Amino acid sequence: MKRWMANPIVRETVRIVAAVGLALLLGFIITLFVSEDPLNAYRSFLLGPLTRLNRIGDWLEESITLIFLGLATAIVFKAELFSLGAEGQMVLGALTAGVVSLYVPLPPALRLPLALLAAMVVGFLWGAIPGILKANLNANELVSSLMLNTIALKIYEWLLTFYIKPPNAGYTASDFFPKEGVLPNFFPPIPGLEGVRQTLVNQTNLTIMLYIMLAAIFVVYFLMYRTPFGYELRMVGINLKFARYGGVDIKKVIILAMAVSGIFAGLAGAHLAMGIHTKLILNITFGLGFEGVVVALLARNNPLAVPFTGLAYGYLRAGADVMERASDMSREMVLVIQAIIILLVTAERVLPMVQKRIAASRSNGEGAAAAAEGGSHAA
Amino acid sequence: MAALIEMREIVKIYPNGVVANDGVNFSVDRGEIHALVGENGAGKSTLMKILYGMERPTGGEILLDGQPVHFHSSNDAIAAGVGMVHQNFMLVPSFTVAENIVLGQEPLRNGLLDQAEALRVTRELSQQYGLRVEPEAVVDSINVGMRQRVEILKTLYRGAQVLILDEPTAVLTPQETQELFAAVRKLVDQGKTVIFITHKLREVKEISNRVTVMRSGKVMGVVQTEDATRESLARMMVGRDVFLQVNKPPVTRGKKVLEVHNLSYVSETGRTMLHNVSFNVYGGEVLGIAGVEGNGQTELAETLSGLRPAATGTASVNGKAILNTNPRTVRLSGVAHIPEDRLTNGLALTASIDENLIVDRYFRPPFHRGLFIDYKVVEKQSADLIQEYGIRTPNGKLPVKSLSGGNMQKVIVAREFTSDPALLIAAQPTRGIDVGATEFVRDQLVKQRTDGKAVLLISADLSEVMSLSDRIIVMYEGEITGVFPDAASVSEEELGLYMLGIKRQTKEEMEAVL
Repeated sequence: MKRWMANPIVRETVRIVAAVGLALLLGFIITLFVSEDPLNAYRSFLLGPLTRLNRIGDWLEESITLIFLGLATAIVFKAELFSLGAEGQMVLGALTAGVVSLYVPLPPALRLPLALLAAMVVGFLWGAIPGILKANLNANELVSSLMLNTIALKIYEWLLTFYIKPPNAGYTASDFFPKEGVLPNFFPPIPGLEGVRQTLVNQTNLTIMLYIMLAAIFVVYFLMYRTPFGYELRMVGINLKFARYGGVDIKKVIILAMAVSGIFAGLAGAHLAMGIHTKLILNITFGLGFEGVVVALLARNNPLAVPFTGLAYGYLRAGADVMERASDMSREMVLVIQAIIILLVTAERVLPMVQKRIAASRSNGEGAAAAAEGGSHAA
Repeated sequence: MAALIEMREIVKIYPNGVVANDGVNFSVDRGEIHALVGENGAGKSTLMKILYGMERPTGGEILLDGQPVHFHSSNDAIAAGVGMVHQNFMLVPSFTVAENIVLGQEPLRNGLLDQAEALRVTRELSQQYGLRVEPEAVVDSINVGMRQRVEILKTLYRGAQVLILDEPTAVLTPQETQELFAAVRKLVDQGKTVIFITHKLREVKEISNRVTVMRSGKVMGVVQTEDATRESLARMMVGRDVFLQVNKPPVTRGKKVLEVHNLSYVSETGRTMLHNVSFNVYGGEVLGIAGVEGNGQTELAETLSGLRPAATGTASVNGKAILNTNPRTVRLSGVAHIPEDRLTNGLALTASIDENLIVDRYFRPPFHRGLFIDYKVVEKQSADLIQEYGIRTPNGKLPVKSLSGGNMQKVIVAREFTSDPALLIAAQPTRGIDVGATEFVRDQLVKQRTDGKAVLLISADLSEVMSLSDRIIVMYEGEITGVFPDAASVSEEELGLYMLGIKRQTKEEMEAVL
């Protein structure tokens, strides 16, 4: 078979593209059965997010959240810790970022960094709790992190309802953040391009969080693959007994992994509050916390792959939104199609079969490869 | 007589470019016990997997009774009467012995498994071939030796005429090995043919009729067993003369390095596994611990290395207390540890060789500089150690799991020996590794001792303990029952009596020589 197939990145990409293709085909078949106008419905699903500037903006904004969450999840998963605490850390990140943006009387140059920092710190601390419980009491991190999600959500709702919401407001939300507490648009005010900037500001909420996200990707990558902590994290994930035997402090790694993961979930929360909504609302997370799991799984917990899987998954969600609004497809059907795609992409068994065939025909030498290309026993 | 099995010009190239078999010719006559020997990674297992249909050859042909055959899966091989018993057993732990044996070809009654028939068949097979099993026992509850017999019976139940046994003795005690050999002879008496993969030359001499020796994917020779000596086979396997005897230069004993006093260990289930163990190890000596496995040796090594908590007692290395601290502290006190179970403790299999070599030093300079680990230094060290310790791999980026058992052990040895320890705890350092690697590891152990390090050797291989140690202590049921200050002057039989608990020295006798 072709030499380039030997490259694991290429193979992995082929694997994912093929799975997505198959899933989209299945999705279309479902659409055929459900929709009166399947072609248009499916087109809005596939192309919808790109049709208008504000839709592109929506897609990218949500992708930023997903990428932060994917990074957070990749960190804990890399240590084989099945913590699902990103939701809670995110909601508290949104809360603290919001409180700082609303109430701390500082100029933007100080207020914004302080808000982000506060979200990171609270994510770190909230993440450390299940870590400490796991390390010292051997409490299952999956259960404790889920419980803590509920606690975080209720704290958020309670504070929002009874303290933050203006008394005369008709619905449960804070005031819009003052100008000093809103993140600037990602597009810098370049002389001569004010028009472009104005259009972007009007149509999207894409803020400088974009750059913070890019930085975060590299921070997580270097943390994981270049620092002693990253080494410990990975060794604990691969073989805990080996790490212990070698002298790694397992408890420290467990607590730190969960806490550091919380930093990025906290940033996701700050993005929701300061970038997208510019106020605190009920259900601010929309359950997005768990979507980080999908993003991290698709990326195989590789931080450099997270932006790609985050964008792809974000696109899927955005397309589903458009399809729901622009066609007769119900939200439920859209979710079914989405789930099929995820299932197929994450199912480890679907494409390795093809890979195995490819590998087998390669090891059988040129003759077999030629035969395979001739179609006599093509995979 | 025409060969029953003939494999001609077998070539196997794996997708990653590894040539496992390079034009191998292999033939087996009906009714013989044919030993297939070679170091780990020589291509024996690959060749047998091809014969058993688990791997497809890249080139070559297989003849069975003179007829070309093409096995696409092991089911094809089984249908043709070729069966294989793997090193790692493939039994269902929650099923009974009888259920495991018939699994796949179950006798049915009313569409359900006919338990009575399964038991009957199992008993009959067990009797016929002298393979003792308890048909109604759940596999989870039986020992390794019996599991192996279950595997063999299962293969026979499926109608195997040719049995491939992949390193069957690696997991057995000497007694179980003898039992297995008796069964193998009985199989052959009843017309079966056995291919016996091993790298233990003593066993080759004992059990086989003919030997095929492989090295680096090629056949180095086929000899009648009676015409071969262990030395001649070892030379064929390794490609040079192998010294089965250890060369141990005399050294004067140095200062006390490890001091263990009244060490006890109680397991999580409340059993006392170590009871008031006291001994010292000095620089420049190998202290060997002899004993039947399971008499507290594992617990001793692991309490000393910080992996298990001790119940009572003290232990210090050069005066620094190490008991009930943690592995990092123990290591920083100058202890290196070759663990008994290398796959569980000693290695991270999916991590690279590079990263396996730094687990005890990644946090120190020159490996750790500023915020980051300096991977240039890591790779440099790795390249040096691969060279120095003869780890057979194209480079250090490959995962450890791609190495053979002997080379995995070399990774551990390379790491532990280069940590510049004062005390080296070596638990079963040559278990399951090939002749060349064994020789290497033993030489290195002796070299450490000659360089003035203290070595605590724990091994179930009595000949290893006897040939490497300066002093020997015997452990029986968690206690020291004998101390022999001059390892050279004690006989195997004498040690055996202590190991079995038949003889024991009094406290005074031991204190006199400790």
